[in-house]
Amino acid sequence: MSLRVLNPNAEVLNKSAALHMNINAAKGLQDVLKTNLGPKGTIKMLVGGAGDIKLTKDGNTLLKEMQIQNPTAIMIARTAVAQDETSGDGTTSTVLFIGELMKQSERYIDEGMHPRVLVDGFEIAKRATLEFLEKFKTPVVMGDTPDKEILKMVARTTLRTKLYEGLADQLTDIVVNGVLCIRKPDEPIDLFMVEIMHMRHKFDVDTRLVEGLVLDHGSRHPDMKRRAENCYILTCNVSLEYEKSEINAGFFYSNAEQREKMVAAERHQVDERVKKIIELKNKVCSGNDNNFVVINQKGIDPPSLDLLARAGIIALRRAKRRNMERLVLACGGEAVNSVDDLTEDCLGWAGLVYEHILGEEKYTFVENVKNPRSCTILIKGPNDHTIAQIKDAVRDGLRSVKNTLEDEAVVLGAGAFEVAARQHLVSNIKKTVQGRAQLGVEAFADALLVVPKTLAENSGLDTQDVIIALTGEHDRGNIVGLNHHTGEPIDPQMEGIFDNYSVKRQIINSGPVIASQLLLVDEVIRAGRNMRKPT
Amino acid sequence: MRELVTIQVGTFANYVGSHFWNFQDELLGLTEVPDGDPIYKNSSLDMDVLYRAGETQQGIPTYCPRLISISFQGSLGSLSLSGSLFDDISSSDPTDILTWQGLLTNETGNVSRCMAEPHKKNLFLQSLSAEEHEILDVSEDDSGEVMCSSQRQVQDKDRIECLETDVKFWTDFSKVQYHPRSLYELHSSWMDIQKFEDYGIGKDVLSGGLQLEEMNERLRFFIEECDHIQGIQFVVDDSGGFSSVASEVLENIEDEYTNTPVLLYAVRDPGAYTYATNQKSSIGRSLHDAVSFSRLSSFCNLMIPVGLPSLRCTQVCGWSYVSLFFLILNQGGLSPLLHVDDKKPFHSSAVYAASIHSISIPFRMEMPGPAANSTCTSGAMDVGEIVHTLAGQSRQNMVTVLDVAMPPPSLTDEHNQGSILRNLHPLTPEIRKDDDDLLAVESLVVHGALYSGDHRATVSQVEDSVRVAYQTAPAKPMFSRLSVTLCPLPIPLPFPSIFGRNVGRHGELVFNSVQGAQSRGSLEIVSIPMAARLRSSTAIVPFVEKRLGDLRKHGIARGGASAELLHTWGFGRDEVEDMGEHLSKLLMAFDPHSQTTSDSD
Ligand SMILES: Nc1ncnc2c1ncn2[C@@H]1O[C@H](COP(=O)(O)OP(=O)(O)OP(=O)(O)O)[C@@H](O)[C@H]1O
Ligand SMILES: [Mg+2]
Repeated sequence: MSLRVLNPNAEVLNKSAALHMNINAAKGLQDVLKTNLGPKGTIKMLVGGAGDIKLTKDGNTLLKEMQIQNPTAIMIARTAVAQDETSGDGTTSTVLFIGELMKQSERYIDEGMHPRVLVDGFEIAKRATLEFLEKFKTPVVMGDTPDKEILKMVARTTLRTKLYEGLADQLTDIVVNGVLCIRKPDEPIDLFMVEIMHMRHKFDVDTRLVEGLVLDHGSRHPDMKRRAENCYILTCNVSLEYEKSEINAGFFYSNAEQREKMVAAERHQVDERVKKIIELKNKVCSGNDNNFVVINQKGIDPPSLDLLARAGIIALRRAKRRNMERLVLACGGEAVNSVDDLTEDCLGWAGLVYEHILGEEKYTFVENVKNPRSCTILIKGPNDHTIAQIKDAVRDGLRSVKNTLEDEAVVLGAGAFEVAARQHLVSNIKKTVQGRAQLGVEAFADALLVVPKTLAENSGLDTQDVIIALTGEHDRGNIVGLNHHTGEPIDPQMEGIFDNYSVKRQIINSGPVIASQLLLVDEVIRAGRNMRKPT
Repeated sequence: MRELVTIQVGTFANYVGSHFWNFQDELLGLTEVPDGDPIYKNSSLDMDVLYRAGETQQGIPTYCPRLISISFQGSLGSLSLSGSLFDDISSSDPTDILTWQGLLTNETGNVSRCMAEPHKKNLFLQSLSAEEHEILDVSEDDSGEVMCSSQRQVQDKDRIECLETDVKFWTDFSKVQYHPRSLYELHSSWMDIQKFEDYGIGKDVLSGGLQLEEMNERLRFFIEECDHIQGIQFVVDDSGGFSSVASEVLENIEDEYTNTPVLLYAVRDPGAYTYATNQKSSIGRSLHDAVSFSRLSSFCNLMIPVGLPSLRCTQVCGWSYVSLFFLILNQGGLSPLLHVDDKKPFHSSAVYAASIHSISIPFRMEMPGPAANSTCTSGAMDVGEIVHTLAGQSRQNMVTVLDVAMPPPSLTDEHNQGSILRNLHPLTPEIRKDDDDLLAVESLVVHGALYSGDHRATVSQVEDSVRVAYQTAPAKPMFSRLSVTLCPLPIPLPFPSIFGRNVGRHGELVFNSVQGAQSRGSLEIVSIPMAARLRSSTAIVPFVEKRLGDLRKHGIARGGASAELLHTWGFGRDEVEDMGEHLSKLLMAFDPHSQTTSDSD
């Protein structure tokens, strides 16, 4: 995909031409993204030059796949991607909002108005809208026992904009339970503690939440058990391989015998470490039929594996660094960095550990854990692009749950906020503004409607009719969103359509900032990072 | 097993890698030819060092390079990201969209498809995939076969021609099947790839986002399955933003695989030297070179800068053999036996790949057992040993020069070319030319050497000849290691035509010149002997000094636009000073005064 390349030499253009170039670039980007928006948006299959497929229904992913060269478009894209990085959602809305602000401004500028005046109006409108958002938002109390229903509604709203309903609804419970699993009172939520693992396998509805951990590797010894119950888990970061340190190079020794001796000494040290682990195993497993699993971040070489296997221990090597933390949260115990620290208290526990093999890919499931504080979402899909798209959606879902817990508020969706905010600006704010800046407020207010309008358009509805119906119903004192099936006004609360408060807030915040920069063209700083060159 | 994991980062690094793996693929093929040359079959080279055995989900066995290749999105040409081996397992059509309502065929279903212009496979790649499908389609009757082979001849010529005229991507000439985890594409972040030219831009590309983590995970996949990893062979195109991508990857390696030695080749396309000459950008260039050298060298155990501004040997074209002899002794450029077109990365990368291949030979020789006395190989070494040999001896210098003789003359020197040693040409830029460092340490690899004409030399003949050459050399290194094997460098079909008219079918020198094409390639030449050398000596001093000087002049000597530039690259004053210190430490290895102290340990 590539956007039309507008003249990249902005400097040589006069101001008005440059301004229109900015407006066109913003509109161009808006056109590409607008079909993405909402539950009736279009999913895009991108086929690369070598036939590689990517699937996306997400503004963020789509932007990253695009080859954008126009500096203005890049600036907008960066803002939108930053939106996704900080709040996890709202990329498409950001691009649409900026595009629409530019489009609305164009009308006034063509009539001879100075952009500065519009920008002043934007600033007033932005502040008013943010204040309005504070009143409009729906507070939710998230104490020790969060309201699971509201979390589900937010997650479902997000997921249904990325996946068809059946799949979205199935994932809703998964992401909500996933976040609740890792949540610790009074601590920020670290979503990395939800591992997202995937398998290429039959069909996508097999995706599930594993309370515990799934690792993408297995043991490396043929005699180790592939399935074990009642397992002690030792999480460690200890080298269990003979590492030829550099002084071992052959010519350093006066004779082969000396060399052998050094090698033997080093080997002995490794063996000692392994023996310490075996000792602990023997201690905790004697007199019962419990099992013992070692999950090591460092390597374990074949002689060490042999020793461990003979002692009936299951051992995995080269675990992800992050899994050290996850394992401890899932199974308990603590991660050890040296076998000298080994005690029974270091050990975690899992009711079941088993290996699953798909071709050369191995997976180890560590399940039936007590009191997990880390979990894994296991995504199954028939091919990479399907898996990737589900993964993106799951990440969005997780973020929406986290945001809700942290915001302690949500915002009614389906365009309800935008319609209400627009009416508020037009009927309450505009008249308090002096002079022509009023028009800036109006442009801003109208630009907000891009969300309900686009939702309507994507549902194949007539945007004019929809906006008239919505504003009419609003003015009768109701909170209304768009029923994307019928085009009728609905109460989003009844339908459970909620967006994140922090996402909305950021869209309102960043949209006018970028639009203003683009309008005040001579104050435009070059298009951000990628323009940076040794100058 | 002593596994080696290879990492290639950046455009030119992947060009080099593409040739490198073509050699390996050719070697693998040659061991399988039923009545093939026994030299390949009994080569005693263990390919498992570089390759991994695996299987697809359907249980089909595979044998793929243990490789991670990092490049920009869109730089794989017609090669699919997941390689060609592991096609989708599902019987379902990959274009079925299972996650959204609606079908592609059903326009109302809110599904749309954007197709990029498909990359056409060139003639070479077409025949490659055709060969795969018709592998069993061998003609049966004799007369037919003759027809076939002569027909084939013509076609091979066309295939070679298409590569000579039109290589756009490194994948255009690759005949290797890659593992689906091998090829990693960086999102370009709306970057003009042409402008991906300095350290800072590479940093931006990785900032925020999961790409670094994804690359590290790929690496972990390959390392987890190694029982005794001997090292990592890292090739980076350090002429632009890929330097910083590579140093991020290297930094993780240092953290995660602390005792695994890393051999780092910093490679450059001759084209990378033709940059804008206005002053600002040339300061930017110098700073880039200084910073990336400092960073990269601090994360590896042995660094080998490779890449000449030109690989041409212009004076020699068309000269007769008498004067050729004269020139070899005098000119400083690359061997007059090679005709490399600097404008084609396809050409220059082939020379570098061949040299890297040669250097890697000792890593896969079978390690000497108690009673080993192989007739095929001698001088096995693993990565840790070469690091120790070159960088861990009395002088702790870890930046080495790569020299190559491609091909070296025969041992009997029928054409008065001088010894192998005298035919080694440096591939490392900016070095001291006549270097008679008495404390130099070298590791020389000779493989497939010829005794006379096209007769192969035995291992001990090579050893003797090299010993004699060292004895008569004007300046002897302090220590030198030699690895020898009989197995020459096979020239695969997609190898560029870069040999001069004087190179014969087996890489022997022929001076009764048969008139023919100006340049000779894989049609005329089946294999060549090779000699390559890593040299740790004062020759590298100017290279390091230049970088330290630039860093001091532009970066450390207070303020100015350059400090600003370094700042935008994410380096504060302290970090720049640390880099300076690191570079002076590298130089200190050559300081005779510091010598005494490092000698003692
Ligand atoms: N069932 C629904 N009916 C009507 N509108 C909905 C419904 N569900 C979600 N929406 C609206 O869709 C919009 C979100 O769409 P979408 O998630 O596609 O875009 P985005 O969040 O702006 O960008 P991103 O691509 O980053 O997700 C919100 O305005 C939301 O209120
Ligand atoms: Mg969204």
